[in-house]
Order: sequence, then C-alpha cells, then structure tokens
Amino acid sequence: MKQRPPPAAFGLMLLILALPLRAEEITVFAAASLTDSLKEIAAAYEKTSGDRIVFNFGASSMLARQIDEGAPADIFFSADEAKMDDLAKHDRIVPSTRRSRLSNSLAIVVPADSGLTIASACDLTNAAIKRIALADPQTVPAGIYSRIYLARLKLWPLVESKIVPTDNVRAALAAVESGNVDVGMVYRTDAAISKRIKVACEIPRAEGPDISYPVALVKDSKETETARKFLHYLDSEEAAKVFGKYGFIVRP
Amino acid sequence: MSVQEWQIVWFTAWVSALSTITILPFGLAAAWLLARHEWPGKSLVETLISLPLVMPPVATGLILLKLLGRRGAIGGWLHSRFDLDIVFTWRAVLIALGVMSFPLLVRSTRVAFEEVNPRLEQIARTLGAGNFRVFCTITLPLASRGIVGGMLLAFARALGEFGATIMVAGNIPGRTSTLSLAIFQNVQLGRDNDALHLLGVSVLLAFAAVWGGEYFLRRKPGFK
Amino acid sequence: MNLRLKQIALPLSEFTLEVDVEITRPVTAIRGPSGAGKTSLLDLIAGLRRPKSALIQLDDRVLTDTATGRMVSARHRQIGYVPQDLALFPHLSVRKNLLYGHRPEGKTADGHLFSYQHVTDVLEIQSLAERSVVHLSGGEKQRVALARALLTSPRLLLLDEPLANLDSGLKAKIIPYLTRIRDEFGLPMLYVTHDPDEVRDLCDHQLWLERGRISSAPR
Repeated sequence: MKQRPPPAAFGLMLLILALPLRAEEITVFAAASLTDSLKEIAAAYEKTSGDRIVFNFGASSMLARQIDEGAPADIFFSADEAKMDDLAKHDRIVPSTRRSRLSNSLAIVVPADSGLTIASACDLTNAAIKRIALADPQTVPAGIYSRIYLARLKLWPLVESKIVPTDNVRAALAAVESGNVDVGMVYRTDAAISKRIKVACEIPRAEGPDISYPVALVKDSKETETARKFLHYLDSEEAAKVFGKYGFIVRP
Repeated sequence: MSVQEWQIVWFTAWVSALSTITILPFGLAAAWLLARHEWPGKSLVETLISLPLVMPPVATGLILLKLLGRRGAIGGWLHSRFDLDIVFTWRAVLIALGVMSFPLLVRSTRVAFEEVNPRLEQIARTLGAGNFRVFCTITLPLASRGIVGGMLLAFARALGEFGATIMVAGNIPGRTSTLSLAIFQNVQLGRDNDALHLLGVSVLLAFAAVWGGEYFLRRKPGFK
Repeated sequence: MNLRLKQIALPLSEFTLEVDVEITRPVTAIRGPSGAGKTSLLDLIAGLRRPKSALIQLDDRVLTDTATGRMVSARHRQIGYVPQDLALFPHLSVRKNLLYGHRPEGKTADGHLFSYQHVTDVLEIQSLAERSVVHLSGGEKQRVALARALLTSPRLLLLDEPLANLDSGLKAKIIPYLTRIRDEFGLPMLYVTHDPDEVRDLCDHQLWLERGRISSAPR
C-alpha cells in the first residue's frame, strides 16, 4: 500500500521554502557622521532582503587605515574623497563601484545652555571662546573641512591654539554636549540629532568647503554579490529619502 | 628627531615626574595605614586603591572626566569659583598619570614599610618618640629603598599612560600631547617613521625607569 | 619602688596571661620556660600592648587601668626597655642610637644623673660612638642597648633575657655592668631570664611564670 508522507513533512518543506534563499552578512565601514542615517537604512534593507549589515563607524581616516591593513570590510563609506583616493591608490577598492552622491554642510554648535552668540565664523576669534572642539584637523575629514574653511577666511592661525582635537566628528559633538568646550564645528547633520547642543551658526553650502561622501566596494570583500546589492540599495529612492531626512544633501 | 618631538619627550618626562612627586605623600600615608594598622573598611580601601590597576584605563579616564569636567562635581566647582579648567589641560594629564600610577606606588611602599621590623618602632616609642618622630626617624629611613623603587615604578607607569589620559586631556599638540598619545596620532596619520622615533625614546625611558625601580626594590633596606 | 600588676588578663595564642602581683624589691627576676608569656608581660608594663584587663601602677602613677580606660602611651611611661633582640637602629651610628631618647636633665628618684658621660663611662662604650651598630660584637651591642635605655633616665628598667645570646665568657663580663647599673644608678629592674645563675648574683627576688600564671618560685 502506498504510504502518504506525513503532514509534518509538508509543513517542514513549506517552512524551508518560505525562508529567504541565502541570508548573508556584510560589514560596512562608514564615517561617524553617517551613524544614524545608515542604521535606519540598513534596518529597512534587512527586512526586505534578509541580509544582515554589520557596521563599523569611526573617523574615515582611521577606517581607511584599517582597510589598508587588511581589515575585513565589504564596503567603505568615507566622508571625503581623499581617503577613498588613498585606498584606490593602494588598490583596495573596486573603482567601478565608486559613487559620490552624498554631501553635507558645516555648522558651529554650542552647548544647549550656552549664552554665547556667534553670527559667523569670525566670532571664533573672540576671547570669550577659549576652546573649540574639532575632529582632528590633520586627519579626520570633518576636521579637515573645518580647517580648510577657516584657513580660507584667514582665521585658522588665530584660532589654532584654541582647538581641542578629537578622534572623530561625533567625539567633537560629545565634547560640546559635555560643556567642556565652548564651541564645536561639526556637520549640520550631527547638530540635528543632538538635543544637548544648539546650532549657533550654519555655514552655507555655497561658502563652505565642498563636502563629498564617496562609497565603494572593498576589493578583498568575501561577499561581493551581497555587498553590491546593498550598494545598489544605497542608490535607491528609499535610501535617498532617509539621507534627506537627516539633513544630508543627495546629488542626483 | 624634530624640536616638536623633543618637546613631547620633555613634556612627558616632567609631567610624569611631577605626578609621581604629587602622589608621594598620599601614597606614603595610604601605604603606612595599610601596613601598620587594622581598621574597619580596610579591605574595601585596599580594593579601591587597586582598581586603576585592573580596570580598563579608559574606564578610569571616563570616571575622571565625569568628575573633573566643567559640569563635574569637582571640575564644575573649580570652573565656577576660580575659572580654572582641568579637562583638556596639562593638569588633567597630571591627574590621570597620578591616579593610574598610584596603586603601584602604594603596593611597593607598603611592602617597604612591612619589611621594617615593628620592634624597632616599638622600642623607639619606649625611648620617648611620638608617632610622627618614629615615622620620620625610623620607619621612613629604613623603608627608603623600597620607597624610591616604588616611585620609579610609578614614574615608569606614568610615562606609558594612554587610556585615561586621552579621555581626560585629549591629544592637544603642544599642550597635552604625551609620548604615547603622539605615537598613536602618528600611527593614525600613517607617519610610521615618526612613530618609530618616539617609540624608541619611549622604550629607552621606560627601560631606565623600570630597571632603576627593580634595582632599589631588590635590595634589602639599606643603612648608612 | 612599688610596681603593681593587678588583675592582668592578656589572651595569648595558647593561653591567657593572668597575673596579679605587687613587686617591691629593687631587682626582681622573672623566670620560666620559653613561651610562658614573660616577654608579653614586659610589653604590657612598657605600654606596648593593650591588655583585656589590667591595673598597672608604678609608684604613684597609674599607667594602665582598663576599668577607667586609662592607658599612658609608651613614650610617656619613662620605662626603659632592653628587648631580647636588642632592637638597635641599624641605620644610625652608636652615638645616634644612644642619644635617641636622651634627656639631659633626667634624674632618677634619688637624684642620680643619667648623663651621656656617666653612662658611657660605666658601660665602657665611649670608643664606640661613631661606629656603625651593625658591625659591633655581641657584647658591645648588649652594652649599647643597655646604655640607650639608661639615657632616657627611666624610673624602671625592663630587661628581656639580656645575656641569652652570649657565651659564658661574655656573660661573665656583662654581669658586672648590670651590677653597676643596680648600684650606681639605683634603678629598679625587672629581669627576665631562664638562667638561675644570673638570678643568684643580681636579683633579690624571683617570680616564676609558667603558662601565663605566676607560681611560687622553685628556688
């Protein structure tokens, strides 16, 4: 007599078919200023694709160095072109996957309870301002942008002695939040997410330095297919909407 | 090595020396109390003193940051009363180095005191000396080698301090940049050669300090 | 002299030291097997240990009284102590050791002067003044320790086995010094020893201490 397979076997088959075909995990090294926006984008992406995104946020300079030394990253999302150029020079990225669509602008911020008024960057030379927090102006993109801008206004030599360099732009933000410095220069997008600081003065995009966030696939990635999928998603309308929500400028 | 690099070496050396001298009276007092007396809460204090030795230095640095920042319990008072800032100045470096090397000083000094025959202190008392005189004329001279050894170890620890310092003083070139912080920054910048110069000096200084420290600690209490 | 050691109770590792006695003779020996508590008793009298209960009084001065909580510190008791290991300060010269507790104006009860000259003269140690304590012979160390205690002008001298580590030849040399201390300075002494010969020459009276208790002296 022909035996019918037990109903449990059918159930198991259905269950297996319902699961996403392959759940992969990729690692994204990204600039600190992208923390909140990327996390939100990744959460939405994970739901639909079933893949998992693991992030390593930090100063682009530090991340670039780590990738150069062979750190296991699949995607690098930098806060300036220079760091990506360095990696390209050392043949660490896949040039055809490189895209630069994101931009940002700078803002001068003060602790939420501060009484200082700052109309423009020139006010930074004021004696009342003793300490200015910046991401390291020699290495970290946010600090470099700020320094370039201040140098262009011939203010850099006057304020250089007041600078308190931090490891990345979020650390500069934290320094302002703690009240241990009088003023900080961070991205407008960073200023937007913190309630413990207020924006004293925004640097208009036209005046400020040309900020650009390139993203690319890392050559030694072990999950190129999955990574390319995510890169593609970063280019999508949904992702652009999220970036825009946080204050980034998305170039077409 | 450039002028700036020598400046960093000089700064590191003098702030480490100053921090060792600053913690010395506290270290001696703590070591003496732990060596010679039993009192309630003693083991709690012993553990507290040892904490910076075992905790991650950045954790200790965070505690210091919370206390000494402009909004902290101590830093806030100093800032509002005297317009004095600690965080992000050499004073923060001094305090970070002092806190991190304090346990080493207390340990070595305590052993030095414990090695002084208590009978000598007792007899000194029968000869009419009060506690302070006994401490200065008997205990301290006989423990002096161990104390010097402890100071050198503390100095060596201060030289190499990084985690707590970077939390509480940052790495401000020309103001709070110590050897270890400068090495870190050079590595970040990709300036490995410069990092190696500083590394070499760092190793030499640490070697001299530890070697000297062990020399004093190894020998028995000396007499003139 | 009158040394009252009343209702003394001091728990030691294996038994409790319990003494209740009054000592009036100038030189009294405390004999007994080792571990009997003799050193602990001297420590109590000198004020180096705190008893569970005791009334210790020297002449008209109450030194320890647990009933009232009175405990005169060792530095104020004016009791000289020569411990068994001598406890000479190794980092100081002989002279500095001798002068450590020296009070130049000191006099005993009956007016004797404890001057540096006199004491070093009696014990014949003037020539040792600048020497390092560490390199002295056994006999020299003994005399320096004695002199150091004497130079504080004490009212009572405690000696813990002063001749224990000396060979018989040296003992014979030191005993006259002790006799001199008794005679020249008129100083009451409590003398711990386990050697009956020393007692015979020097002491007027003996106490026998065994397992923390005083029993009748087996003469």
